[in-house]
Amino acid sequence: MKLDRRTFIKGAGAGTATCALATLPGSLAALGHSELQGSAESVASICEMCSTRCPISARVVNGKNVSILGNANAKSFGGAVCARGGAGHSQLYDKQRIVKPLKRVGERGEGNWQEIEWDEAYRTIAENLNRIKAEHGAQSVAFSSKSGSLSGHLFHLAKAFGSPNTFTHASTCPGSYVIAAKAMFGGKIKRDLSNSKYIINFGHNLYEGINMSETRGMMNAQMEKGAKLVVFEPRFSIVADKADEWYAIKPGTDVAVALAICHVLIKDDLYDKEFVAQYVTGFDEFAKEVNAYTPEWAESVSDVPAEDIRRITHEYAAAAPHALVDFGHRSSFTTEEFEMRRALYAANVLVGNIERKGGLYFGKKAASYNKFAGDKVAPTLAKPGVDGMPKIDAKRIDMVDEQYAMTWSSGGIYQTILDATLDAVPYQLRAWVMSRTNPMQTMTDRARIVETLQKLDFVVACDIYISESAAYADIFLPESTYLERDEEIADKSGKNPAYYVRQRVVETIGDTKPSWQIWKELADELGQGQFFPWENMETLQLFQVQRDVNLLRRIKDEGFVSFGKPLMLRERSMVSAFAASYPNAKPVDEDGTYASHLSFKTPSGKIELSSDKVEKMAPGRGVIRYREVTMKKADELFFIQGKVAVHTNSATQNVPMLANLMSDNALWIHPITAGLLNISSGDKIRIYNDTGSEEGHALVTPGIRPDTVFAYMGCGSKNKELARATGKGVHCGNLLPHVTSPVTGMNLHTTGVKVAKI
Amino acid sequence: MTKRYVLVHDENKCIGCQACNVACRSENNVPESVTRIQVRIEGPYGNFPHLHFKYNRVSCEQCENAPCVKVCPTGAAYVNADGIVSINEKKCVGCLYCVAACPYKVRFINPETRVPDKCDFCKETRLARGEEPACVSVCPTQALTFGDANDLNSEVRKVLDTKPHYQQKVNLGTEPRVYRIPSRKGGIKA
Repeated sequence: MKLDRRTFIKGAGAGTATCALATLPGSLAALGHSELQGSAESVASICEMCSTRCPISARVVNGKNVSILGNANAKSFGGAVCARGGAGHSQLYDKQRIVKPLKRVGERGEGNWQEIEWDEAYRTIAENLNRIKAEHGAQSVAFSSKSGSLSGHLFHLAKAFGSPNTFTHASTCPGSYVIAAKAMFGGKIKRDLSNSKYIINFGHNLYEGINMSETRGMMNAQMEKGAKLVVFEPRFSIVADKADEWYAIKPGTDVAVALAICHVLIKDDLYDKEFVAQYVTGFDEFAKEVNAYTPEWAESVSDVPAEDIRRITHEYAAAAPHALVDFGHRSSFTTEEFEMRRALYAANVLVGNIERKGGLYFGKKAASYNKFAGDKVAPTLAKPGVDGMPKIDAKRIDMVDEQYAMTWSSGGIYQTILDATLDAVPYQLRAWVMSRTNPMQTMTDRARIVETLQKLDFVVACDIYISESAAYADIFLPESTYLERDEEIADKSGKNPAYYVRQRVVETIGDTKPSWQIWKELADELGQGQFFPWENMETLQLFQVQRDVNLLRRIKDEGFVSFGKPLMLRERSMVSAFAASYPNAKPVDEDGTYASHLSFKTPSGKIELSSDKVEKMAPGRGVIRYREVTMKKADELFFIQGKVAVHTNSATQNVPMLANLMSDNALWIHPITAGLLNISSGDKIRIYNDTGSEEGHALVTPGIRPDTVFAYMGCGSKNKELARATGKGVHCGNLLPHVTSPVTGMNLHTTGVKVAKI
Repeated sequence: MTKRYVLVHDENKCIGCQACNVACRSENNVPESVTRIQVRIEGPYGNFPHLHFKYNRVSCEQCENAPCVKVCPTGAAYVNADGIVSINEKKCVGCLYCVAACPYKVRFINPETRVPDKCDFCKETRLARGEEPACVSVCPTQALTFGDANDLNSEVRKVLDTKPHYQQKVNLGTEPRVYRIPSRKGGIKA
């Protein structure tokens, strides 16, 4: 550390304020930092405070602060940022952020660290991984990363190394709606909330789990255009509050109500027969199955009144096709997620809202958009491929059952790392390289994860803080925050093609590196440098734009660039405006749309309401069906979790500005239940079940079903490195059992708990 | 004509996400232990399942008839020509009368400057650059409308002319320049 007068004075000040606290090795507090060096002019970039990755515009103010606003060029984001996005600079120069590589010097998880140089970090990792590879094969090393722009670089390293075992967090959060869409539509589908006139929502809390364009779109539809919102959710969340109607549905029974909606649509002849005839297969089998799912039956399962289900379905059908049933985001409510998400999609398919305003639609990326336009309206980006990558013969550890086949290319089943390590199923895993992921909080059964991390031969973590999971690493690699990183151009196409790019706003603080560089340099040390032939990020960007420097400059200057005009294939006004704009555009159908061009990447080329492919993968599941599940014991309360607007899952609890807003999560309990347990608001309580036991405090509120308790997730870290978060609140992952749901491979985030006053 | 800056907070559109709180803190360098603005999510009120929250913006009300100005012995607290209740740090003697007099409890002593502090519609920072206050710019759901109510063509004028609204504690005669559009679930039918 360079000692000049400024750092000396600063050090003296910090010393008096925090003399009682030992300084964490490798942290900004230990290493000190000078004034921020960065652009005083606004730089367009991409936020990373959550995985929505909103376009932002940021600049350094007076060398000490970073002003972060939304990028106004991205119209649907409206120049806005949420609290997390606005607090990005608080993470950037947080004194507890780690800015130097570390190695463990005590027992795993004990919290004793020593600063090391990058050379030593790379050397140690390469020696260990190459030794494990030589002794046990490359497949015995698992690689996991938060999905996003740089996860591709870690997974590329995994492939170069020879391991098939790469995982995102999908099976702990959004996996099911993606898998269900694959099964029915052949790929992901989007929702046009902003143009919807009637929205049915099953606990997709867009007003707390903020996804800027969707949050804005739905609010705009509700308040400016008079859209009606119906919410089924066990808790009175913000989205429930903003709804026109809220039903406190029993946890895990959404599928029953969704199927009853389908039942009414078919029975009362409200569905779009032409649409079904043209685009759907498997309708008859589906109709036969849902015949039994009457609203009265659904009421007995879910506590939602039958007459309301019937009325809501009629209202929904009347507003169709400019109406939708939201298929959700976090999709780990029940082990029957696959049926639930398919049932939600089915309720959309039946009203024929696909490629209609206010319904569901497919992203229009440059290649397909240009085909419709008969012209190169939008540039396409090149994808770098590397020749001679090693052939991997080993099977993935989650390839234990064919029913999970659709997950293997969608992030895999994350929690199988635990089975492979502890039980050698299907074979023994020996090392884990993780980047920007915190399974200790987001996966389930924390004790089992601790056991796993203790048992492995070698663990590497790359992160910004020493998260609860990184606390068990042998080597910790400090990544630069998004405000210090350049990345590849990313596709952000919606109804028309769009691109945006992350750019550095400030010079790197401390001795951190972007992870694309970390994995490239590690590849060199591992002896796989030839598979990373690019020099730096600029090389990759130029490759993407095929050396079109003007395009690259435009994307960087504007930050968010969209091309052409919005297109939905079955929306006449959009198609006619589109066809009028491009002289070589595909001829329009007789009805004024591109309806005849709508096809699906399923085996039949149609929407598979029932699927032979699924039936083969998972016998009995070809047709959407209700199955009763038991998620708690009779004398337990349902335990559910959710997101809060000021934190991102388990990633931001230590960011000073956000910790200042919320650092604890009380357990919501209904007054009747609290009365029976003699619990008042603020009381210290114990929450326990067969999986674990947690202490916290109670919030007695009518905003929750009497048979259910709720906590915001992400609190209650147990490692000492996260000083602002540790020991505060209920650790949800410590109460959730280790479960893998059929077909989707999902974790389960609903369970039973008992609650007692202490 | 003089300006009359006002702000309208739509409690229907507000989701209590604290984006305003954070943006204000960053823009105006507000120290960690104090706050110029927060939205308190209060409730839920009512009986299960007929519930509603209240989204209460807690910040300077920019009173036309400001008690903090009236009690200030030195003229440090004053109403600027644009209607923004302002503070002249040089004249402040730190008597705290203004903090005590504020019926909305939104004035505080800035621990770094040792001078009373509160929302000033970002007049030194964003307003000076011709931008809207930070809270207005970042609001994810466009719950805030800001502008010159004396300008008949302004958006804020249109909102006030067309939507039901209320001000807090009008019985005190403070005449706040912060207006609120009540939640349609708050018991008042819009």
